[in-house]
Amino acid sequence: MSSIKVNQISKRFGNQQAVDRVSFEVEPGEIFGLLGPNGAGKTTSIRIILDIFKPDSGEVEILGGKMTDEKKNQIGYLPEERGLYQDITLEVCLNYLARLKGLKPAEAAARVEQMMKRFDLYDHRKKKVKELSKGMQQKAQLIITLVHDPQLVIIDEPFSALDPVNTQMVKDLLREERDKGKTIVMCTHQMHQVEELCDRLVLINHGKVMLYGKLSDIRRQYSGQEVIVHPLNELPAQIPGVSRIDRDNSGYILHLADQTTPQAILKNLVEQGIPLERFEVALPTLDEIFIQVVTSRGEVS
Amino acid sequence: MNKFWIVFSHEYLRHVKRKRFILGLISIPLFMAVIMGVSILAAALSEDNRPVGFIDQSGLFKDAQPQPAKRSGLFVTHVKIVPFANETEARNALDDGEIQAFYIIQPDYYATGNVKMIAQDSVDSDIHRDFSEYLLAHLLKNENPTIRTRILEGPELVLRTFDSDQQFNSRNPFGFLIAIFSGVIFMLAVNTSGGYLLQAVVEEKENRTMEVVLTSLSTDQFMAGKIFGNLSVGLTQLLFWLLMAGVAALFALRAFPDLRDVGIGFSFFSLMALTFLPAFVMIAALMTMVGSTATESREAQQIAGLFSLPIAIPFWFIAAIMENPNGPLAIGFSFFPFTAPMTLPLRSMLTNLPAWQVGLSIGILILAAAASIWLASRAFRLGMLRYGKKLTLAEILRPR
Repeated sequence: MSSIKVNQISKRFGNQQAVDRVSFEVEPGEIFGLLGPNGAGKTTSIRIILDIFKPDSGEVEILGGKMTDEKKNQIGYLPEERGLYQDITLEVCLNYLARLKGLKPAEAAARVEQMMKRFDLYDHRKKKVKELSKGMQQKAQLIITLVHDPQLVIIDEPFSALDPVNTQMVKDLLREERDKGKTIVMCTHQMHQVEELCDRLVLINHGKVMLYGKLSDIRRQYSGQEVIVHPLNELPAQIPGVSRIDRDNSGYILHLADQTTPQAILKNLVEQGIPLERFEVALPTLDEIFIQVVTSRGEVS
Repeated sequence: MNKFWIVFSHEYLRHVKRKRFILGLISIPLFMAVIMGVSILAAALSEDNRPVGFIDQSGLFKDAQPQPAKRSGLFVTHVKIVPFANETEARNALDDGEIQAFYIIQPDYYATGNVKMIAQDSVDSDIHRDFSEYLLAHLLKNENPTIRTRILEGPELVLRTFDSDQQFNSRNPFGFLIAIFSGVIFMLAVNTSGGYLLQAVVEEKENRTMEVVLTSLSTDQFMAGKIFGNLSVGLTQLLFWLLMAGVAALFALRAFPDLRDVGIGFSFFSLMALTFLPAFVMIAALMTMVGSTATESREAQQIAGLFSLPIAIPFWFIAAIMENPNGPLAIGFSFFPFTAPMTLPLRSMLTNLPAWQVGLSIGILILAAAASIWLASRAFRLGMLRYGKKLTLAEILRPR
């Protein structure tokens, strides 16, 4: 059973098609990246998944069926539009929102206290929320997202407003949750975070799915025209099938001619008897793939 | 616990526990008590309790005995009535300030009832009444006591209408004042609740907490919790003030025994409850609607004024309603949901309301309340996720 199954959802606001026949599945126990540039339709898709909006067409299954009030207690959501009740104390605010997630009063109090200690907020619990810094408020939001031990966590830009120390703490926390079998959907455009954390991803642009699958598969799919070589000695000036050679630190980047595969180059170098320390197919970074996909506007069927 | 109750108690306690609320709650009754105290004190201090004298030129009241006080109450005092042998003596007493006035019972009193009064300042009408009762009591002293009492007290007139058991006591205009007083308290409570509700909804929007909340419980549960939580704040205020008014009324009954005859009963209070409650819900729902459509609290408050203002309109036309409680204006106000809660109880104190008018008025109010809730929940659903963008009425009404 998938944690989330999105099947051909579309949503139009006025004359703008926000989401256009988007489909993807999120498997249990993975960190899934939902990527796309600003205004691509990520937030609308999430809102449809969470039953805040109804789709014009298509359907969504979450935790094995339609959204119900019971299921809401098993979902943690950190929205892009961050918000907390500003005029009450942190402790009251967290307890209230934890109780809305179905925790009993004593349970909520205990969990909130434990989380506040972990996030270094315990000493600030009697302060009004509006008196806290942006980073602290962000941590408070993460507490609300995770306090009820949800099965499914959906987080929109989890690292914005966090310093490197807290960023690392949140990363560790997300991995920890995944290792406990929780499903995490991470919505972001910080590609290096996705590379570091996500197992699979979907990339949406102009409301349409552009890329979808395992991170490693996608990178391989976009690779193939560059090879990184670290020889023990010098490389010959000409290698068949290589259109250009660039120096790169202690090695070389070989730009392959059309129709040439990395395997053919390796075979050629071995046959020439050139001793190699390292031979690597240069996989493009997700950043590069992102820019390439977003600027070329190709659609994945 | 149902999530509705979590929202309800959070909203309720948030306001009720605040110092500002408690101060507001206490300050109004305190203010009224001070005003009442000061005016009673002023009246008591300005009252002239010096005796009045009389000279009997008719010879009818030679051995008149002072009569026992009939009216009683904390603030009711009877001045002494003292006889004088002649006008000069009485004149001297008046000049010396021992008495405030004296009456001269003319020789032809039996035939004409002529009495002259001499005073330096105007004399309270109660003293005239006491004096004439004094004379009457003496003339009737040999009469059968039952007949004597009947003549002295006069008839007790009760007006009764044909088609209902409503009755008007001839002696008391206080019922009308109570209707006005309840109306004012209602208006204050509506404003408090409405204001809190408006703030609570706009705040949700300004704080951008809606998405987290909507993924925790349903919109209906959330909205209902918010509306009833904030409504209860106003109701708490209303009940506390009514309780205080009850205490004040007990005190007033001791002080002014005449009030005991006020013709206010169960039917008046049920009429009040039946008009106030739907009106309360209607205003609350409209405030929620305004809160969800506006983008910031200042803007919302300006629009909200448009709803709370019409409630007070009947007070501007109170003279016209009193003069003609069955006129087209009064009847029109009774059928308009904003003005009905003020008009209907007021009219019930002035006239006999036909049952169909009461039924229609309450029916319209309940319909208006239901329609407002419907509008509010649509506006809430559509408007709450629109940060920094207004929602128009056309958008709320447009079918989806």
